[in-house]
Amino acid sequence: MMETDACVHPCPAGNASVRRMALEAGALGLRAIVARDAMPGEYAGVRIIPALIISEPDIRKVSGQIRKRGAVGTLVLVDAGENGFNRALLAMKGVHIVRNICRTHRNAFDHVAARLAEASGVAVDIDLYPLIHARGAARQRVLHRYIDLIRLRSRYHFPLTLSTNACSVLDMRSPGEMQLLCTLFSLPEEDAALALSTPEAQLQPVEPVRVVR
Amino acid sequence: MKARPPTLREKKRYILASIWPPEPEPEPDPKELYGAVLEAVTSLFGDAATARIRPVVISCETGYVLLRCSRGCEKQFRIALATLTSVGERRIVLHPKATSGTLLALRRKIPPALPSLEGEDGGVQYQGKEWSARRYHGQKVDLLEKGIKGQAPLYITQDDIEERSCSHRHTRWDTTGQ
Repeated sequence: MMETDACVHPCPAGNASVRRMALEAGALGLRAIVARDAMPGEYAGVRIIPALIISEPDIRKVSGQIRKRGAVGTLVLVDAGENGFNRALLAMKGVHIVRNICRTHRNAFDHVAARLAEASGVAVDIDLYPLIHARGAARQRVLHRYIDLIRLRSRYHFPLTLSTNACSVLDMRSPGEMQLLCTLFSLPEEDAALALSTPEAQLQPVEPVRVVR
Repeated sequence: MKARPPTLREKKRYILASIWPPEPEPEPDPKELYGAVLEAVTSLFGDAATARIRPVVISCETGYVLLRCSRGCEKQFRIALATLTSVGERRIVLHPKATSGTLLALRRKIPPALPSLEGEDGGVQYQGKEWSARRYHGQKVDLLEKGIKGQAPLYITQDDIEERSCSHRHTRWDTTGQ
């Protein structure tokens, strides 16, 4: 099992180089990081998986971005939007992870979207950044959103990923800490451990058996 | 006053956590750190749970801090510690390393080689700017832009500096799957 932080933001978006983030991730016990706009590779025993983050309100623009910038070995993460957008997104080929669910309206990810996510194998990202940095009502809203998401997941079993969205090495957390934070919204530790290994599985999706001659 | 017999005393758990970054000051003020820990626990679990957890900062040693909580509450306490992001104005993160029932056992777990410094460089050229650099054992280098107070730090590695200074240098990147 490869414990992976599903999204970090190295330079220029953050204040740490991708190598330094890999070094810190290795010290914390992570085996891989998904780094925004990074080159694929390995540093200090930590695999660096490049991420393409798409933040577009129009589904056609998302499709265009995937065609233009999507590459083999790159994880495609798309920001969630309203309900119709999310359903279209989950049915689209080339999307690996839907992120920023906590910033959307409660009805934006409903049981239909959950069923679509399960059918298409698209993972839903749980962003731990607001749990760590927000306080008061803002954090309560995010926790409430995640509790609702976990309730849907218990029925539809769509894949989850865990990310710290770290812009600095000080924002990164160990797999143990990430699992503990997930207990705040009733995600069992074994499911959280499974979610940590999802990004790797998203790059090697299970395909139907083919006869090779 | 006569001390309570051991069977009637409250059971406690001790947590050893590393402090990162260890610079610019070697360790934060324990009182300030206690305030930050208490705020983190209270904001996450509320006053009633904080009273049950009873978080205490015992001591701050070089690069490490010893904390205490009630037995059975260590999981909650560790969750709250993960949400601690600053002490006063200083950005800080505590990573719990070990939990024990006695302070003695925990002190034995403090590694002798702490994240010690190799020294401070006078200056480093990086991205066309002059930075003051702090190097750690291994590859880690923290940069702080020279001349401007309160400048945000930049966290890089020795390889990043070498790659910038010598563009023809063969990098240590491996291609995935090869």
